[in-house]
Amino acid sequence: MPCALSEMTDPSNAPTTAGAPAADVILSGRGIRRAFPVGERSLEILHGVDLELGRGQRVSLMGASGAGKTTLLNILGLLDRPTEGEVWLNGQPAWSLTTRERARLRNASIGFVFQFYHLLAELSALENALLPAMIALPKAAYRTSREQYEAKAVEMLERFGLGDRLKHRPGQLSGGEQQRVAIARALLLDPPLIIADEPTGNLDSTTEEQVLEILLEEQATRHAALLLVTHDKRLAQRCERMVHMEDGLIQADSALPIPT
Amino acid sequence: MYRWFLSLRYLRARRTNWIGAAGITVAVAALILILSIMSGFLQESRNHLRGNLGDLIIMPNQDSPLSGSGRVLPKTDEAAMMEIVRANPHVSGASLQMAWYGMLVPDSKSALLKHPVFGDLSLIHLVGIDVPDEYGASDLQENMQASENTGSFKVTPVADLQHPFDPPPFYRSEGAPKAGIVLGAQLAAAWNLHPGDEVELFSLGVDPITRSVEGQGCNRTFVVTGTFRSGENAMDMERVYVDRRALADMLGRTTAWSQVLVKLHDYEADKVGAVASLRSSLAEGGFVHRPSGDNASDYYRTEVRTWEDLRGNLLGAIENEKSLMGIMLSLVMVVAGFTVFAILSMMVSEKRRDIGILTALGAHPSGVMSLFLMIGCWQAFLGASLGAVLGVLGALNIDAIETKLSRWFGIQIFDRSIYLFDHIPSVIEVTGVAMIVLGAVTCTLVFAAVPAWRAARLNPIDALRFE
Repeated sequence: MPCALSEMTDPSNAPTTAGAPAADVILSGRGIRRAFPVGERSLEILHGVDLELGRGQRVSLMGASGAGKTTLLNILGLLDRPTEGEVWLNGQPAWSLTTRERARLRNASIGFVFQFYHLLAELSALENALLPAMIALPKAAYRTSREQYEAKAVEMLERFGLGDRLKHRPGQLSGGEQQRVAIARALLLDPPLIIADEPTGNLDSTTEEQVLEILLEEQATRHAALLLVTHDKRLAQRCERMVHMEDGLIQADSALPIPT
Repeated sequence: MYRWFLSLRYLRARRTNWIGAAGITVAVAALILILSIMSGFLQESRNHLRGNLGDLIIMPNQDSPLSGSGRVLPKTDEAAMMEIVRANPHVSGASLQMAWYGMLVPDSKSALLKHPVFGDLSLIHLVGIDVPDEYGASDLQENMQASENTGSFKVTPVADLQHPFDPPPFYRSEGAPKAGIVLGAQLAAAWNLHPGDEVELFSLGVDPITRSVEGQGCNRTFVVTGTFRSGENAMDMERVYVDRRALADMLGRTTAWSQVLVKLHDYEADKVGAVASLRSSLAEGGFVHRPSGDNASDYYRTEVRTWEDLRGNLLGAIENEKSLMGIMLSLVMVVAGFTVFAILSMMVSEKRRDIGILTALGAHPSGVMSLFLMIGCWQAFLGASLGAVLGVLGALNIDAIETKLSRWFGIQIFDRSIYLFDHIPSVIEVTGVAMIVLGAVTCTLVFAAVPAWRAARLNPIDALRFE
């Protein structure tokens, strides 16, 4: 299958499982395998995937259903342990850390945007956006810096057009509004990596465009890396790099013209 | 921070949480209420179980020779004995008693044959006393006066309290004048006896050494002069008081005493010291046995005793009932714990997606666990404190509550005529309340720990997939 390899995955400087990646690399997955037990046998979904993301890079991950996108995303997002291989995030070997250190790393370095928004139903829009700070800080520390985080969350939500929706519960918000709250939540702690799993997969085309605009604009302003899982080719083309997965392997990793 | 915040938010949002807290409230309140009432009963019963016993009872064992003295039995010289007892600095009063057993038969002898419970009532405890000494050593004088709190067995007071064995003024004897007898109020009620009625006492003398019946049985007619109510059922049912000399005369005995009742200046403070000093001074005088070192034949242990030693099994029974009640009601607490377990388990299942989100946002499994444990903690805290307040308020106002409930339901919950007290006794023990609250909180947390642990072990991937 013809593919244009980017310099990131050029075999000459391909990442190895030993040693920290270069400083301008925010995320590096090396030799990732993932197998699931099925009865007495084991079914391998990922067959040794290598993937690197530079700081501020916007990468799309495409592939048919069952190609292993979500499994890879979970491993790169530090939610699922690979059977083999290592994930370096922000210079740290994530799966060699303790559970507590890994949880802290996930909190500080990754902002998740899910297809189904995943907001807590009992909290208001503002409280949902503040959740990463509440998790990061103990009670006393949160109290002292609460105003600062609140101001930041309010500013973001207002910018996203939700100024009059701060006290609304997720059930009182539309899908697009909920996803905007989820984006604010993902960005609150200024993580260097945003992982978005089909962020517009559940939205109509008008709302999709609005949400996408916000996500891409924020990512660019903050110079955060974005790993975007999508089925939508038009959306993938707005990224500077497109990774294509098939049968648990990366089949193509192509640099695209910088989108305007 | 999120644990506090979210636990309170979940607590408020889910009404089922209040059911858990309510369960704990009921359990804690019921435990406090019941144990307070049981403590009250115990305290009241202690007062009543004492009956007409003094503080201490000296019962020399006349069956066994003094140790190391061949066949010499303990001395029976009453004057010398009382001198030793009264010389003890702890003693405020002492009374010689002659106690024996007999049968009581009302004058109308046909009643004996007709009475269906004749067998239960016939054997009675005959106690011969010296009136002034007895008044100084036991509560007999108070118990012979009519009181409001005597339930259904009313006391018929004697005509002259200073001479209780004098026949009532209206009594006319046929033949020789009869000696007076004071009956337990329950016994008098059972036989329907009133002052002026004649009763016949039967008894047998027993040789203290050979344990064989001495000669023929003896009997004598007495005239009822009044009744007493000590509060102890056995005593009020089976005991009669007569003059000590009259009893000795009827039994044909030369020694007119068998035990001494002693009253102390301060029972609670002096009981141990008084028992020890009386044991040693009476043994010195040859009235009781010395300790032999052999527990089985150590008479001295039973010769000088406190009234509590004598009634130990009855007091122990009430203590036991209290503990049993506590154990049984603790099961209510366990049921409340199960409710919390069920509610939290349900919540963990419902909140699987939230658990996944929190993990994705950087929450540690221990944080997730403490979030759910904290919800259990709130339920325990709210339930136990509300329960403690309700329980204490209930115990303080149990009488008013009982009266109201009795009126509403049209049944008498606490029948005051059965008991010796006209109120439901309750004593609030601060340490008891604290233990119950602590127990409730611990129990709830133990039950909450299981679902909380399950929440912490949830795989975030599965949890996020949960829709």
